[in-house]
Amino acid sequence: MSAHDAPAKPQRNAVAAFLTHPLFWTAVLFAILPYVAGANPFIGNWSGFVGIATTMVIFALFASGFNLYFGHVGELSFGHAMFFTIGAYTTALYAKGFNVQVFGRTVQHAQTDNLLIALLLSVGIALLWAWLLARLVIPRSSGIYFSMITLAFAQVIFFITYRWSELTGGEDGLQNIARPNPTGFGWLQDSMHFYWFTAIAVFLALCLLHWIVRSPFGSVLHAIRENRQRARFLGYDVDKYRVNAFVLSALFPAIGGWLWTYYQQSINPDAGSVEYSGNVVMMSLLGGIQTIMGPILGGSVYYELQNNVSQLTKYWEGWIGIVFVIVVLFAPRGIMGIVEDIQQYGAATALRRYVSREARIKTEMQEEIPPLDETPAAPEASS
Amino acid sequence: MLSAPELLDQFVNGVTLGMLYILVALGLNIILGLMGVINFSHGSFFMLGAYFMFQLNGPIGFWPAILVSAVLVGLLGMAFETTLIRRLYGRLPEYTLLLTFGTALIFAQIVRRVWGDDAVRVSTPPYIPDSISIGGYQLPFYKDVLLVGLTILILAGVWVLLNKTNIGMIIRAGTRDAEMVKILGINMPLMFTLVFGIGSLMAGLAGALAAPIYAIQPSLASQWIVLTFVIVIVGGIGSFWGAIVGGLLIGILTSLMALIWPPAVEMTGYIIMGIILLVRPRGLFGVEGLFE
Repeated sequence: MSAHDAPAKPQRNAVAAFLTHPLFWTAVLFAILPYVAGANPFIGNWSGFVGIATTMVIFALFASGFNLYFGHVGELSFGHAMFFTIGAYTTALYAKGFNVQVFGRTVQHAQTDNLLIALLLSVGIALLWAWLLARLVIPRSSGIYFSMITLAFAQVIFFITYRWSELTGGEDGLQNIARPNPTGFGWLQDSMHFYWFTAIAVFLALCLLHWIVRSPFGSVLHAIRENRQRARFLGYDVDKYRVNAFVLSALFPAIGGWLWTYYQQSINPDAGSVEYSGNVVMMSLLGGIQTIMGPILGGSVYYELQNNVSQLTKYWEGWIGIVFVIVVLFAPRGIMGIVEDIQQYGAATALRRYVSREARIKTEMQEEIPPLDETPAAPEASS
Repeated sequence: MLSAPELLDQFVNGVTLGMLYILVALGLNIILGLMGVINFSHGSFFMLGAYFMFQLNGPIGFWPAILVSAVLVGLLGMAFETTLIRRLYGRLPEYTLLLTFGTALIFAQIVRRVWGDDAVRVSTPPYIPDSISIGGYQLPFYKDVLLVGLTILILAGVWVLLNKTNIGMIIRAGTRDAEMVKILGINMPLMFTLVFGIGSLMAGLAGALAAPIYAIQPSLASQWIVLTFVIVIVGGIGSFWGAIVGGLLIGILTSLMALIWPPAVEMTGYIIMGIILLVRPRGLFGVEGLFE
């Protein structure tokens, strides 16, 4: 009975609220990443690589955007890489310029050096595409069909980037994309500077995402996730909310694609492949869907793992697969799920819950089913 | 311009391709329809069928190798279901997609480790003629005659299994409402294992039959699996005729697209799927209310 005697919520003051805030931990993570990312104790390498840190930060944003739909609306889009690749190619083409024949007419654009217009174009095109797609698909399908149709449309985008060599450079993609030079001193050419630029941009975008999730709009999304029919009965236009959430969830991968192109200074069709779509699912799951911190952490852990294992064996993808299987089977709420369990039950009980089914049932009973004498009166008696 | 023989060539090609698609997609479809398992590793079973064929073709001969490869893949599928998939029943079907996505990565790496990165090939035995002349028109014998004929026989067998036997009756009833069938006293866990085995066996059989006409390589699984899903969705989940119509439609149109507009070949299936789902959200033969 001791669990019930404890106060329901500890007194939270402003400092505690700040220290447990996901954005605070995101900032901490981003601040230490360049010094630890890619460190591999297995081969005795303890220092970080700034390039890997940049990748992690960009994918934290990509996965967070994807998870806005997967974790918070509860539907799996298996083609979110299309928004990433649209953002990336738009930026690349805008920065590098192009010259193609479309129906016998020449369409061309010269090389440009403007960060913000590239961002606006990337985001604009990705959102427009997401909106058209959502308007077409969401009222008609859900569940497995939704996952598959998003995958199909992502494949169409992938094959456009793969096949339209004149515009996209085909399989090799586009190389030698210059990083912009907004200050005139070549500040972004340095990889550490570029990391900080990326981290700040991603952090701002994540603030926006956090605000969306915590807003009344976000609460409606959670209501739809928990019980779509009940949300509809409450008077919410469920499909409209799903469309809006889908469009918003395309925003963040597009920003990620924009950063990705400038970071890599080249781009190839892989950015829109099924593997990339699957990887962000993996990152979200690994970190924990239904939380804000989950996909951010998941992106970093995924790349750390990938980097470490790929230095040990060339069959690293198999080991990633094994991690995937273990997470799905034993920790479907991911790293953040483990953290929450430890917060709720204490480390010892949490560990026992993971190991033994009996402990799981016992602790579950304690919190979910109130003892008999505390059951509220039956509705017949009260009326 | 398009010439008639070219058109016929591609059409026949498309039929062959479609037949293989049907074999793979039908197994996937039965598993998805009955158990709600989105098996992303189904393409790996197809690939393993081809690799087992490559391994066994020399020692035990062509036809026995095809049979043994298929059976081995079927047994592997049953083991896969009892050890891994079984733990996920009662959770969202999306989790089975994620689990099998992980195992597909593992299978691909195991194959790389065992058989290497380079493509391997299987040749047909010498007594099978290279080509046959039908009405003055030359057809590759194994690829366009034997394979298509065998697939039709196998499909007829599956149809009989599904429609004329007790097991088939349980499968069809379970696709509608597995819980109800369980209440009626059928051992559903056993049925699930059996059906997963049958579905995997069909993928393995398709892989073994396709071994002589494709370059066998570790990327085979990922090339096939996505398109197989497309066929299942186009035809409608849980539908026998849906898989057949979907497979032929996509096989033939993909082949014809090679003549009409080559850059769009890989996109054909996805475009067809997009159009069909927008008009019929549950596929051509799909039933409303399944997995939504």
